[in-house]
Amino acid sequence: MGGLVLRNVSKRFGPVGVIDDLSLEVGEGEFAVFLGPSGCGKSTLLRMVAGLETLSAGEIHLGRRRIDALAPGERGVAMVFQHYALYPHMTVRQNMGFGLRNVGMPATEVEAKIAQAAALLEIGDLLDRRPAQLSGGQRQRVAIGRAIVKQPEAFLFDEPLSNLDAALRARTRVELARLHQQVPSTMVFVTHDQMEAMTLATRIVVMNAGRIEQVGTPIEVYRRPATRFVAGFIGTPAMNFLPVAAVEAEGARATAVLADGMRVPTAIPATRLPAGPLTLGVRAEHVVAGQGSPAVVEVVEHLGERTLIHARLQDGSALVYAEPGDSALRAGDAATLQADGSAVHLFDGAGRAYHAGLNP
Amino acid sequence: MHGRRTLGDHLVLAAVVLLAAIWVAPIAWIVGLSFKPNDELMRSTGHLLSPPFTLKNYADILGASSVFAWMLNSAVVAVGQTVLTLAVASAAGYGFARTSFPGKPVLFALTLAAFAVPEQAIIVPLHTLFAEADLHNTYAALILPRLAFPFGVLLMTQYFKAIPAEIEEAALLDNASRFKVFWRIALPLSLPAQATLGIYTFLHAWNDYFWPLVSATKPEMYTLTVGLASMQTNFAQTEGIGFLMAQAVFAGLPVLVLYLFFQRHIVTAVAGGAAK
Repeated sequence: MGGLVLRNVSKRFGPVGVIDDLSLEVGEGEFAVFLGPSGCGKSTLLRMVAGLETLSAGEIHLGRRRIDALAPGERGVAMVFQHYALYPHMTVRQNMGFGLRNVGMPATEVEAKIAQAAALLEIGDLLDRRPAQLSGGQRQRVAIGRAIVKQPEAFLFDEPLSNLDAALRARTRVELARLHQQVPSTMVFVTHDQMEAMTLATRIVVMNAGRIEQVGTPIEVYRRPATRFVAGFIGTPAMNFLPVAAVEAEGARATAVLADGMRVPTAIPATRLPAGPLTLGVRAEHVVAGQGSPAVVEVVEHLGERTLIHARLQDGSALVYAEPGDSALRAGDAATLQADGSAVHLFDGAGRAYHAGLNP
Repeated sequence: MHGRRTLGDHLVLAAVVLLAAIWVAPIAWIVGLSFKPNDELMRSTGHLLSPPFTLKNYADILGASSVFAWMLNSAVVAVGQTVLTLAVASAAGYGFARTSFPGKPVLFALTLAAFAVPEQAIIVPLHTLFAEADLHNTYAALILPRLAFPFGVLLMTQYFKAIPAEIEEAALLDNASRFKVFWRIALPLSLPAQATLGIYTFLHAWNDYFWPLVSATKPEMYTLTVGLASMQTNFAQTEGIGFLMAQAVFAGLPVLVLYLFFQRHIVTAVAGGAAK
């Protein structure tokens, strides 16, 4: 068992930089999720940890060992691939035992480990089947089982749920969380699905264009996004961004005046704000209806437990807000909307975030 | 099957039967002639279905003391070529598909360029090469030149490329060496392509005539095709048609047996190697 340390890791494919001088520590037993849009380098990073991609620069340590020069099989990691990557010509039992037999483990011990993992994953009755005879969910379990039997120092998951249908994905997500409680190894999980990241991670590593935007617990990343990118990437619906026309200091706090005239008295210290253009960010659940600026309802999404209302302010800015339960509003209706100043964020031109209270 | 046959179905069926008949006719003709006395065939080949019939033509073949030796030679050459071609094409194909090394594109292009070289163009240098190595009249001479088979390399390269890289990466993470990945993962997964290539190679080797004719000059090293041809007398086309046809049937029998066993794979192979 051990933590994973990436130190000044870079990856270039010819002239194209994919990972740029990235450093990160994942604590022992932590469930770290690399989250980012397609092409942000998160899968490449995972493959570098696995030994399937070389490093252009930097070091990778797992536990007490430096592993970046070791062969994939010697790194003490096990990987679950997006498309399962089961050996099609082997039975489930052979799939799970392949890695163990390759290190010369005695057959009885291999059998015992397979039986143990199969019991944990409830795939005991599938052991003599071939992958082609399994459903997608069953294949995913076998792939996880193949990783578990190796008792690795770290599990690497490369978007393992993206091939499952929505219902199965939700169920497997919960099972993975349970698995992490039962098998307390270090886990690194790559996904572009923020729901997976929010529910599974002890810490989320938000990546964009080969760099880390923010590392934090799911709630930190949601409540105090470090950058405008993180704020926009995490959360459904995406955070509303409204241009700030002017900032006025009221006491120590800043009041943002939006382009349509809406005044938003924030809890953000005015002295910390830089000069230059600012953007106000507010999540749908922090928009209050019945006061503030006039707006016109354009689209109403009934989600059951809440209703999302897409409205347009007088200056043309779009604003999404959420009402709990059902709403009687319909497209074309008029509404008045106000951002809840205690929960808004301000972003400078470089995308850096400013929050209420403690600031970076 | 479900529903009633339409007129179109009947027309298709008729066309298939007609085509099959066109294909089968010459073979049936050959088989028929092979059971007729040569002296009757000298006069006319028109009375295929009426007696007299004879087994003498086959008896003459089996009576030739060397015929089973030639068959053994053909079997050794065909099996040897098949096994070695599969080994060479698989190894080369895997190398081209999965590894990177300097000069790979050039080497691959050269391999494919060999497609364009007709056999006749290189038969003299090839003969000289094996003469200088003092290898003529050996199995090595009959087998080795045929192992450079660009189609086989191309087929295996394409097939290995189509195997998801993730599966091999999973094996690497499972502590398998590169060779073990090839041997335990890639090779078993390429079985359909191996079957296609193996059948092609075997049939080609069994029916090969030109190179064995040039290389094997001693009767004990003849393959079946060369040996049977050597038994033909002058004017065989007029005086020994029955015997000629019996030779053709005899040489084709092993291929027929092979076909019956591997029918499905051969159909797949001919259908363009589009194996599942």
